[in-house]
Amino acid sequence: MIRATSRGFLWLGIAVILFLPLPAIGQQQVENCAACHQALPDGRLAEPAKQFVGDIHAVKGFGCVSCHGGDAPDTEMSAMNPAKGYIGKPTGTKIVDVCGRCHSDARFMRQYNPALRVDQVTEYYTSVHGRRLKEQKDSKVATCASCHKPHSIKAPSDPRSSVHPLHVADTCGSCHANAEYMAPYKIPTDQLANYKKSVHWRMMANKGDLSAPTCNDCHGNHGAAPPGISWVGNVCSQCHAVNGELFSKSRHSQVFVQMGIPGCATCHDNHQILETSDELIGTQDKAVCTRCHTGEDRGGKSAAAMRAMIDSLRQEYDKAHAILLKAGHAGMEVSQPEFDLNEAKTALIKARAAIHAFSVVTLKKEVDPGLQVSAKAYAGGLKALEELGFRRKWLAVSAVIILALIVGLVLKIRQMESAQKGSDKEGV
Amino acid sequence: MAEGMLKQFIERRNFLNWFLGTTAGAFVFSVLYPLSRYLTPPPVAESTARSVTLSLKPKEVKPNSGQIFRFGSQPGILVKTQAGELKAFSAACTHLACIVQYRSDISHIWCACHNGHFDLNGKNIEGPPPKALEEYAVNVRADQIVVSKKS
Repeated sequence: MIRATSRGFLWLGIAVILFLPLPAIGQQQVENCAACHQALPDGRLAEPAKQFVGDIHAVKGFGCVSCHGGDAPDTEMSAMNPAKGYIGKPTGTKIVDVCGRCHSDARFMRQYNPALRVDQVTEYYTSVHGRRLKEQKDSKVATCASCHKPHSIKAPSDPRSSVHPLHVADTCGSCHANAEYMAPYKIPTDQLANYKKSVHWRMMANKGDLSAPTCNDCHGNHGAAPPGISWVGNVCSQCHAVNGELFSKSRHSQVFVQMGIPGCATCHDNHQILETSDELIGTQDKAVCTRCHTGEDRGGKSAAAMRAMIDSLRQEYDKAHAILLKAGHAGMEVSQPEFDLNEAKTALIKARAAIHAFSVVTLKKEVDPGLQVSAKAYAGGLKALEELGFRRKWLAVSAVIILALIVGLVLKIRQMESAQKGSDKEGV
Repeated sequence: MAEGMLKQFIERRNFLNWFLGTTAGAFVFSVLYPLSRYLTPPPVAESTARSVTLSLKPKEVKPNSGQIFRFGSQPGILVKTQAGELKAFSAACTHLACIVQYRSDISHIWCACHNGHFDLNGKNIEGPPPKALEEYAVNVRADQIVVSKKS
């Protein structure tokens, strides 16, 4: 009997949400909710009304009743009569239903933002959050209102938005970095701290590169879930396409799946992805290859060979760059070899990407042209310095010549003067 | 005695004349040699910091093609769009400064290092490049293409 009654209320709730009034475009509703709520002494009831003034929905002409129901023109408490569609503060799946009523309606959303996706609710129920909410009735999981701060929702491109790229990590971290809150789920809570040590966060926060990835770029936003072991590479290769393609064709790709370890994250970590360096490859101290290989096995030997090739290209590039810099600072014209050396730099960067094929042969194809260009540029620098030495040597010689000429002229003048004096005496 | 002094004087005078003649000749050579080196054109034309005249002629550049050129010590890329418009950009990718190239199959400027794509306004449209390529001004004067830095 009780169960039947609860089910009846549930259907009533859904029916109420479905029939909440949709405001016409640009039509400002007559609302009396804020008039009372903003003046209430209880901040819990007053703050939402105050904040809502700047909410994107308020800006577009939506009012309180769009989500909470009720009778907007009614100035009395009767405005909040459930018979008039009032639902109060929605929780759990009701939040998703309320938001989805407009946001899943393609025809309706087209009027406001034709480019906005309308599958957020569908995606949400594929997420870990959505599945737990639906299947396990877990009320602690994130719903729409957990990330999009209710009553002060802004467009994601608005720097004040809780889902602006710069704020996504903190928004997710408000739950995921809270050890106490996350305790029942028995998952790590160091993701936010680790992410903030990563090159991705440094690029975003320090360099202002908003295209750098944050939580939702790898986990999905509405469909948030950890990437599966076999498809981590697909996620990373959304940006690191060349590395991802080379890795997917490499022997490691299959072996990693067989071993049950993720692709990119095994060497580069997942949240704490640090800036890479040539030290990551090889069999030396900081090399990640040694996590599986020894210096003696075939893979270890290949890793050492690849490290040696990369090192040699980098050293040859640095050597050529240094001599050209020295010649340039000495005033020599070395723009041609400097221009040529750009090819070697490109080769070095391509070689670093080519490491992800884990093939000495593939790497050699990138390294060899770079070595040739570096050697040619170095020869250009050497020639410029030889020319500099030649010029300096002959500058010294010409200085001696000029000095000798001055001395000779002085002596000649004196000789002419003494000859003049001699002829004057003879004349006298 | 007087004859000996006269002889010494004449020898000294001859030596001084020889010395003066030699040093004057060497001086003239030391002036003329650098002058001749200066007047001889270098094997490759130098470009100024702000503009470069390309060795290409406008008619030699085919539509939907791109070519790398030297702008000082840095690479530039000259692109002729399918509509026949000449455009030039810095060819150093804004990601890690690899030299970009023109992809006629997709009409994009493309960086092979990490698959960065730029449209024909130089705007980064795909991949890791964080910003657009610097665009240069292209002017066709008579039969020459002159590329200059803007502002």
